[in-house]
Order: sequence, then structure tokens, then C-alpha cells
Amino acid sequence: MKKICHEWQKYLDKGFIDKNYWPAFKENALAAAVELHEIKTYDEALPIINKVIAAADAEKIGAVNGEDYPELQAVYNNLGQQYQVYTDKFTIAKNAPSIDIGISTAEFGVGETGSVCVDNYAYEARLVSMLPAINIVFMNKNNIVDTMTEAFEILEQVFDRGYTGFVTGPSRTSDIERVLTLGVHGPSRLILMAVDKTE
Amino acid sequence: METRNIKAEIESKIHDPILRSNLENFSQQYPAARAKAYANVADIDELRDDLRDMKQYSVAHVEELADEFQTSLEQRGGKVFRAKDGDELKKILLKICQENDVHNIVKSKSMATEEIRLNDYLEEQGLRVKETDLGEWMLSVAGQHPSHMVMPAIHLNRNQCAKFFSDELKEDIPSDIPFMVQTARRVLRKEFLNADMGISGANFGIAENGAIGLVTNEGNGRIVTTIPPIHVIIMGYEKLIPKTSDASKIMRLLPRNGTGQRMVSYLTLVDGPTPIIREKNGEMVEENKKVYAILLDNGRLKAAHDPVMKEVYQCVRCASCLNVCPIWSTVGGNVYGHIYSGGIGAILTGLLNGLDEFSQFSDLCIGCRRCTTVCPGKINIPDLIQELRNRQVAKKGLSFPEKMIFQKIMTNRKVFHSLLRAASLGQKPVKSGKFIRNLPLFFAKMTEGRSLPAIADKPFRDRAEKLLQNNPANPKMRIAFFSGCNLDFVFPETGESVVKVLQDIGAEVIYPQEQNCCGKPIIGAGDLDTARRLAKQNIAALEATNADYVIAACPTCAETLEQTYKELFKDDKVWLERAEKLSKKLKEFSSFVEQIYADNGRLKNTAGKERITYHDSCHMRRSLGIYKEPRELLKSAPGYEFVEMTGADQCCGMAGSFGMKYADLSIQLLNRKLKNIKESGATTVAVACPACMMQIGGGIDKMAPNIKIKHIADILAENLGDN
Ligand code: SF4
Repeated sequence: MKKICHEWQKYLDKGFIDKNYWPAFKENALAAAVELHEIKTYDEALPIINKVIAAADAEKIGAVNGEDYPELQAVYNNLGQQYQVYTDKFTIAKNAPSIDIGISTAEFGVGETGSVCVDNYAYEARLVSMLPAINIVFMNKNNIVDTMTEAFEILEQVFDRGYTGFVTGPSRTSDIERVLTLGVHGPSRLILMAVDKTE
Repeated sequence: METRNIKAEIESKIHDPILRSNLENFSQQYPAARAKAYANVADIDELRDDLRDMKQYSVAHVEELADEFQTSLEQRGGKVFRAKDGDELKKILLKICQENDVHNIVKSKSMATEEIRLNDYLEEQGLRVKETDLGEWMLSVAGQHPSHMVMPAIHLNRNQCAKFFSDELKEDIPSDIPFMVQTARRVLRKEFLNADMGISGANFGIAENGAIGLVTNEGNGRIVTTIPPIHVIIMGYEKLIPKTSDASKIMRLLPRNGTGQRMVSYLTLVDGPTPIIREKNGEMVEENKKVYAILLDNGRLKAAHDPVMKEVYQCVRCASCLNVCPIWSTVGGNVYGHIYSGGIGAILTGLLNGLDEFSQFSDLCIGCRRCTTVCPGKINIPDLIQELRNRQVAKKGLSFPEKMIFQKIMTNRKVFHSLLRAASLGQKPVKSGKFIRNLPLFFAKMTEGRSLPAIADKPFRDRAEKLLQNNPANPKMRIAFFSGCNLDFVFPETGESVVKVLQDIGAEVIYPQEQNCCGKPIIGAGDLDTARRLAKQNIAALEATNADYVIAACPTCAETLEQTYKELFKDDKVWLERAEKLSKKLKEFSSFVEQIYADNGRLKNTAGKERITYHDSCHMRRSLGIYKEPRELLKSAPGYEFVEMTGADQCCGMAGSFGMKYADLSIQLLNRKLKNIKESGATTVAVACPACMMQIGGGIDKMAPNIKIKHIADILAENLGDN
């Protein structure tokens, strides 16, 4: 998949990430209506995803970036046995308007805000994370930086062209009587799988 | 320029119950929401300084940044244009549309395009244009303008929204909010998928790599920049920043201040052409989008080189200056210019659309300075408004009555004061409306909701001589008392209290009879030449006393003497020096006395029977930064128990001539204040400002006659005994 950077971890490991930022990240993500799941392995996501699919009566899934994470690819394969799972970019693009759930990845989280940084240079990554009503995002739980200041210091090193940014919870609006309503243009649910691979 | 009847517009807003309750609720909730968002930030001021410094650097290098941005984006395959005004921008854009055979356009929020009314133009050219931000879309359907930069439709309720939905979609849409939002999703999704061009604004444009940042909660910015094969960025020069890391300086403040969020749902960063995949001749192909950026000038570059007005580049359009503005939160944003509302909106309108349009609503800023305490870019909004007023006066001159009053009457102290005396007898010339409005204060006859005090029979200046006979025999210091017009002619008894309190701390008090009005009303109207003449009279009169300190018990006078005189004489070396000397000696009454009481061990908390609360004058709190001292004095005043009221620092609505010109609006602010006073349970409200005393006193008189209002000096004097 096309990305603005293929070695994010190298930059994150320059002293930006720390486990200590997790509690703040968690608090802020929850406050921003992120549905957060802390899991140890990618497989553990399967039953959760299955439930989400069942509850939403979903049929089509668009899933990206399996090639960077073999275990994630295994999850996609597993889901593919039961559901229609698109992982090829052309098929995703063709079916984008009717996909029910998008699965994508994030590079790191920001403690101060509960945001996740997404590398969306690839068109298909943008489609699966924005068009469906549900977006499931996988992220390495240990990749949390302190504040937006550090987050942008990293971007300054890796962002030379393309498409990236931060996602903080689902799409929302308060334009009518300032009543908070989720899912106006983007997803109404942002489900974050924080995978802690170190333990 | 259309000539508007702003007074009539205000009148209709005051009587719009939907608007009023929406704004009232919002402005009540906003401060707490903002504070909560900042709860995990150690030092907000440090972040504000960082943002201001970065933006100041950017404006000083705006042309270089524009060149760098252009080079960066073009190296990556984009194309950058510069448009000197709206017409030029429209031509460029139309050409792009024609070259690429564009028919359907989706837009995500861009104030620069609203500023030049781009949508109207594109529609005239036969193009289909859809706003995709829900609020903007509803307003475009309704043919209305946004009333707030962040919450464009805050003046509407759900029933009104449902009607716009129904009209546009030609079906019956119920006023159920989630249903309406889902309907918008469905309808606009089609527009996204069919669009062949996406137009976006930018919250910032990064020079070093040509990237832009887009802030949205709905996510429309992401879809507008993803699906259509062409992306056009339209942004003003003020959005340019040097480096990627500078974006964090904006992003740590903008969402917190704008919507009380630590971060918005989507911050999208786009740099150069990005791939899209679409069907072409029956086959799916991947190719790069086309990316264009148009930098809009429209007065911005001139502002960038204006030594004063360049400050507007520090604005990140968070709209928090509106959220705390007492005027905006009473009448909403539509009474200002057509796009940018509130104080900053008045300034931007002045810079972009000219001073004539600005001057129609320029006096809707009452100078309360609440916005300066929250603005992430630390813009001195009221000062910039004042600067534009000054320029308008320099260009157009004053109206005839103002000219006569300022230049012929007020500069001639004897004439001025004999007129004031005449007023106390209810004699003519002072009774005409125009004359009254331009006097420093108090004359207008307002009956509804507020009574104004009469001019005293005997001004303070005639009482001074007798009073000063009580000066201590062995004084510890020599103090010149600057009364200002209000304590002299309306509240001379308070003037007496001031003198007694000062004598009690061992001061020999002098009252120079040559003192005149401090000049604030004239400065506010922009007639700086006349103000200088008054300032010289006062400086000379006060110098002649050879006092150790000059004391004012009116925060507006104190600010004018301490700060504004120096600015008035910044180009006049001799008088600047004299103004600086005066500034050093000038002390505000309550803070001065508090310090001495503290030194003498006279501050002991008491709990008396009478509940007393304190109203912060805007000038006292935000220009002079004094708010602790008066409270300390009240807490230790025998006989009283101090209680805080909510919104103690909210403007009471007097604010100089504003209170006269927009009497109805002024009453609305006053009512809010009275409600808070009553709810505090206090039976006395203390102030340290005679103008507030006049305004609140007038309201109490009509609406809460059992509550008393007192100047701090009066309360202190009560406790001196009969010496
Ligand atoms: S002037 Fe300051 S507070 Fe007002 S919109 Fe601009 S940045 Fe925000």
C-alpha cells in the first residue's frame, strides 16, 4: 500500500513513544467516543469484529494494509471465509459506496488528545476509513506520543508528500441546535484495536 | 456598499427568542467547556505566546513563505496561482473548470470563498456547487449567511432546519435531529460521488512542503479532498506557516478554543497530488489527482505591511472572541459584516471591504476586552478596532455635533464645566439627543429599564476646598486626586469618600481645579488631536501639584492617564516624557489603598451581617489587571460578608457612549448582570468604577430597589468613623 513513510517505527523509536502516555491516551480517546479494545494479539480482535459485523448486519468489508502486517492479513483471511472482504485496491474502489465496514491501520496515538495518526496516502485507505458507517482501526498499543507537539515533530521528519492526518473519534456534528450527532459524513463508530505485542 | 440600519437589525435580533436562547445557553456553557479542554495543559499562556510568535514571524515573511509554498507544491506536481481580489480568483477558477470540463463541485468550508461570494458566481456560470458542511449547506439552501465562524447555523432551531431540508429535498423532513443528519449524509454522499472537483479552504498552508491542513468534525474535508479527481485549495495569505512543526502551535489551541475539544475529529494533511482510483472506459485505473492552490490577497498583503493591522494575521478563526463577547452573545453574528462576525469580524471587514462598511458596525465593540483574555493569537481586538476608528475619523472627520462638543466645548474646561452645571438645573442646550450622546456619560434620558442619576447640585470641585482642610497635620505623602467627570459631577459624595480614605492613611490630598475630562470619550470617537489638547491640560495641572502619587478612583480615567497618554504622545518627545512621568505616579484607588491596608495590618477577614458582592469593571479587570485587591478590601470590611456572583467580570453594558447609542442592547446586558446580582443573595453590590455604578445603579433603581450599590471608597469611608 502506498504510504507517506514506510518506516514510521524508526522515527517513533527516536524517543517519542512511552508506555506512560497510554492512560492519558485512553482517557482522551474514550472522551472522544472512540470504542477502545486493548488486545494482546491480532486474533483476539476476531470475536470482537464478528460481533460488530453481526450487530450491524454487515455484508461487505473493505480491509487495507494487510501486506505490512501478516497477522492482520491472517485476520482478513479468516473474516474472508464468512464474509465478503475486499483487500485489493481496485475492488475496494469499485465497491466503496456499498462497503459496510472498513478496516485500516494507524501509526501512533497522541496522549494529550486521544487522536491516532493515519497514513492515508493510498486512496483505498481513505475510502475504507471514511465512507463506511463503521471504521475499525488497528494500532500498536505501545506507539503513543505525549502531545501534538511531538506528533508534529515526527511528521516534520516523515511527511514530504501525500495524505496523512489525525483522527479523533467518529465523524460528528453539532450544527443543529448544538446537539451532538455522530456519523454525519464519515463513520459513526470508530473502533480502535490497540494491540500490545510486547507482552 | 449597501447602507444598513444596524439599529433596526439589532432591534429585531433582541426580539428573536430562538436566537436569544441559543446564544444565551451557548455563552453560558462555553467558558467551562473551554476550561475543561485545557485542563491537561500546564500553561495556556505559553502556548498562546508560541502561536503568536510563530504567526508574527510568518506575517513578517509572508511573501517569502508564499514563494516557498508555491515552489514546494509545484515541485510535487501541483499548480499555484495568486489572485489579487475576488474577480481575479473567479477568472482563474473558471478557467480551471473549463480546461477540465468540470460540472459538479463539492466544497468544504472556506471562508475566503464566502468572502468573495464565490458560490453565487459559479452558479451563474452554470456550475453545480454544493457546500458539504452541514451548517453551511443548510444556510446555502436557506439563502442565509453564517452567524458564527465555527457554528454557522447557531441562530437556527430544529424546526427551521427541517423546513430548509424539506424545501431543498422537496419531501417532508421531520424536525428530528438524527434523522436530519442521516438525510444530509445520504444526500451529500451522492454529491461527493458525482463531483468532478472538490474545493477546500485550508486552516494552514505549510511553506516547506506545500501541504495544507484542514480541520473538520464532520469529515467532509477529507471526502472533498479524496474523491473528486480535481482539488482546488483556496486560501488567504494569512494561512501560510513556515514548517510542519508549526502546525502543532495552531492545533493545540484551535480546537480547545473553538469547540471545547482537545482535538477535532479530523485533521487532514494533504500535500500535492495523491492517487485516486476510478473507472475509465470500463476499467479501474489508478492515477494522480490534479491539485491547484489559489492564494487570495483581497487586502491581505496590504494589511501584512501595516505596522498595526498586521496583527490580524495572528487570527486562526477559532471564533472564541465571539463566544465571550457580550454583544455577540446577545444579538448574534448577522449584524456585523456578511462573513466575519464579532470584533475580529469588524476588523477583517474593515481591511477587506473598506472602512466605510466597517464604520457601520464598528461601535458594536464596547471595549470590554474579554476577547483578549481568550484569543489564542493574543490579538488586541479592541485596540485594532480603535485604530480603524481613528483612521476613519482622520479620513472623514467627525460628525458636526461631535466636532463641536469635542473641539469647542470639552477642550475649554470652563465652558464645559459650566454646561455641566447648567445640566444639573435641567437647562437647555444639553437636552438635545445628539449633544447628550457625545458627552462623556450620563446625560441621556433613558427611562426604560434604567434610570440615570442626575447631575449633582454641587460638583465635587466645589466641595473640595472644605474637605481638604481636614488634611493630616504631618502627612506621610502628598496625593493629587484626579476625579474624572463622573465623580466630579454625578457622584461627588463618592469623591468625598475617596478623599477621606486617603486622608485616613496619612495623605495630604490636593485637588487641582484645572483638571478636565480625561479624554476617553474623545479618544473612543477617534479624535486624537483634540484628545491631546485635553491630555496636555491634565498633565500640566497634575504636574503643578508636585504630588508623590496621582490617584484616580475611576478605572477608565486611570487607564487613560497611565497608558493612553503615552500612546497619544509617542511621536512627541517632550510630552511623551511628561506623560511617562505622570504614568509612573498614577495609581488606581482601590489597589493603592489595599496595599497600604495590607502593610498596616488592616486586612482582617470579617463576617458581618450584610451580604455584599463585587462587580468587576471591564477596564479595571482587563486593562489594569486589578480584581483581587477590591475583593480583599471587601472581605475585611466590617459589617459585611463577601459573596461572589456568577459572571462577576461580565460587562454591565455601559461602556461609554455605546450605552447611549444602543440603549436597548445595553439594557439586555444590564439585565443579565442584575439577574446575577440577585442570585448571589447580596443586598449590596460594590463597584470600583463610577460608570458601572451609574449603569447598575440605574437598573437596580428600577428593578431591584432593595439592593444598594456602593463604590468601594464609600464602603471604606463608612468604616472610618466620623473623622
Ligand atoms: S481573533 Fe483570536 S479569538 Fe478571535 S477568531 Fe481570531 S484567533 Fe480566535
